[in-house]
Amino acid sequence: MESAGMKIVIDDRPVEVEEGTTILQAAKQAGLHIPHLCFHPAFVPEGSCRICLVEIEGLPKLELACATAVRDGMKISTQSPRVREARRGVLEFLMADHPLDCPICDKAGECKLQDYYQEYGLFEGAFKEAKEKRDKIIKIAEKLILDRERCILCTRCVRFLSEITKTQELGVFRRGIHSEISTYEDAPVQNNYSGNLVDLCPVGAITDTEFRFKTRTWFLAQSESICPLCSRGCNIYVDYHPGFTRIPGTAKIYRIRARENLEVNGRWICDFGRYGFPSLEKDRGDKILWKKEGRDTIMSWEKILSLLAEKLRPRHRTKNTSNIAVVANTWMTNEELFLFKKIFKDDLGLKKIFFADPRPGSGDGFLLQAERTPNARAAKEMGLELNPVNLDDLSKNTDVLIIFGPFLADLHDPSSLKNDLDKIRTKVLVSSHRSGLESYVDFILPASGILEKTGSLTNRDGLVQKFSAVCPPCGDSRPEWSVLIELAKELRINAGYYSRLTQPEVILKEMGKEIAFFR
Amino acid sequence: MIRSLGYFWELIKGSLITARHFVVNMWFHTLKLFGIKTKRRGAVTIQYPEQKKALASRHRSLQRLLKRQDLKPRCVSCMLCVTVCPSECIYVEAAEDPDPDIQKYPSTFIIDLSRCCFCGFCVEACPEDAIRMDTGKIDLAQSTRQDLIYDLDKLLK
Repeated sequence: MESAGMKIVIDDRPVEVEEGTTILQAAKQAGLHIPHLCFHPAFVPEGSCRICLVEIEGLPKLELACATAVRDGMKISTQSPRVREARRGVLEFLMADHPLDCPICDKAGECKLQDYYQEYGLFEGAFKEAKEKRDKIIKIAEKLILDRERCILCTRCVRFLSEITKTQELGVFRRGIHSEISTYEDAPVQNNYSGNLVDLCPVGAITDTEFRFKTRTWFLAQSESICPLCSRGCNIYVDYHPGFTRIPGTAKIYRIRARENLEVNGRWICDFGRYGFPSLEKDRGDKILWKKEGRDTIMSWEKILSLLAEKLRPRHRTKNTSNIAVVANTWMTNEELFLFKKIFKDDLGLKKIFFADPRPGSGDGFLLQAERTPNARAAKEMGLELNPVNLDDLSKNTDVLIIFGPFLADLHDPSSLKNDLDKIRTKVLVSSHRSGLESYVDFILPASGILEKTGSLTNRDGLVQKFSAVCPPCGDSRPEWSVLIELAKELRINAGYYSRLTQPEVILKEMGKEIAFFR
Repeated sequence: MIRSLGYFWELIKGSLITARHFVVNMWFHTLKLFGIKTKRRGAVTIQYPEQKKALASRHRSLQRLLKRQDLKPRCVSCMLCVTVCPSECIYVEAAEDPDPDIQKYPSTFIIDLSRCCFCGFCVEACPEDAIRMDTGKIDLAQSTRQDLIYDLDKLLK
């Protein structure tokens, strides 16, 4: 829209904004933060918290920054003594009925009410009356708990459910000091996006049972990542606790939050992704094993890779690779799929390349896709055909089988899988998780989980998104890309080429040179 | 030869230091015996494990967790002690208390004494006065590291 720019001045900073912009947005453009609790950029302004008051020259009263549109030549001050005094007053009213149980509140540390009190409040409470007693543990959804004492009635949750999910499960009931957020006739909030209410709540009124009381927010290291649980590729924050030195098992991922990316997921993520992360940490394989005549031998990476290379190298030399089969999956990153294609399809010239992916679920028409794998698009763009595993084709005249990923176990029933795999002499499993496939194979190589890797994923719309490792690899595991490069080096194919590829970024650059899509 | 001579020289030096301390302390003790007041007093050796010195009232010794009247720990597992601890020796796991007025209680509370530096910050940080370092236990040496890990049961005793 080409419209005449509005020239305004905020705190002596001249800004030019489009017509219809609110003062709060204009201030944001000018790099100024105006405190707000009820305002959220995704919703229609409500103006219920009253903390975004600003002074406009020529107007007798303070105005709401979130709901007032700018006019040409406006002079706004966001930090004048009058404004600061008003904000203090607003905070005092908000705090009048707020329980101040910050020590046991999960929001403490990232609570906006805390932040604003630090900045504008710091008053001694003047209220002599006892605080209102309300219900503190109300289950409003399967995983959500509402604390009515902490609620400041900003109605962000109500607006989210009426404007974004359009399910309208929550509302504000009763009046005055008795106003409260509630579900209609105790029907719970039931949609796939309920977890976003926790992120939205500016105070700790809505908490989820997954994170509730588990840790404090300031212990967590926040890293940016991509959700791997469906092909949408939602942008997420992963909050990771680096753990305590002497107590094992304390380093772990505590929660997943939505990260804003208007191109992909807006500001939301689905509950499937948010609460699906414990499954990524469960049943991890962390040891390199060789099942030599029924006995498990723990190996080193160098040894096991040279052993594997010995099995593959003669076949490669004699150009007799028809009895090698590989099973890949599209949970592998772009870099890994590229190396996979380079080594097995181009260099070894394999015909038997299969893909074992998790079974598709059902999409919900908003963010969650039916395709429950993050990188199928990349495989297609690279020219890999996503052939599903056919056990007859897989085991027929096959001598060596390399399986990437644990998903094969879910796709076929164990007895037929065992039958067919028993026909193959050497079976190698490169997998991040234990799945039951371990009992059928000879070599087990632990791969890093997707949150332990650095790389990039291509979502269903073809957007290549980079992400970096959230936590260190589990046990002896290594990311597949490094396993593939080491294997290529051991096989002595194209040595000069593979020794250059040392980092995922280098591989991605190389991919760009060879495949136009990744340029 | 020269090296062994050096050894004897060190022996003699050491004996001289001991002798000096003996004479100096003896001198001050003798002066005290005759009622002569001096600025410095003669050193006194306490036969430590058999004989113990009284601890100062503001001393810091082994931590303990305090209980409510109903014998539940006072701790609400706000983890401020964990936050403030400079040697990262405290580990707390919280659980949901059925009582809505309490809400949060520690299901695990571990102090790793092999890391603790007895700074007392945990006591100062605690908003509930749930942890104190006034047990008077200072002889905490153990022969295994595992014995130095104090859990909820040991701390509540």
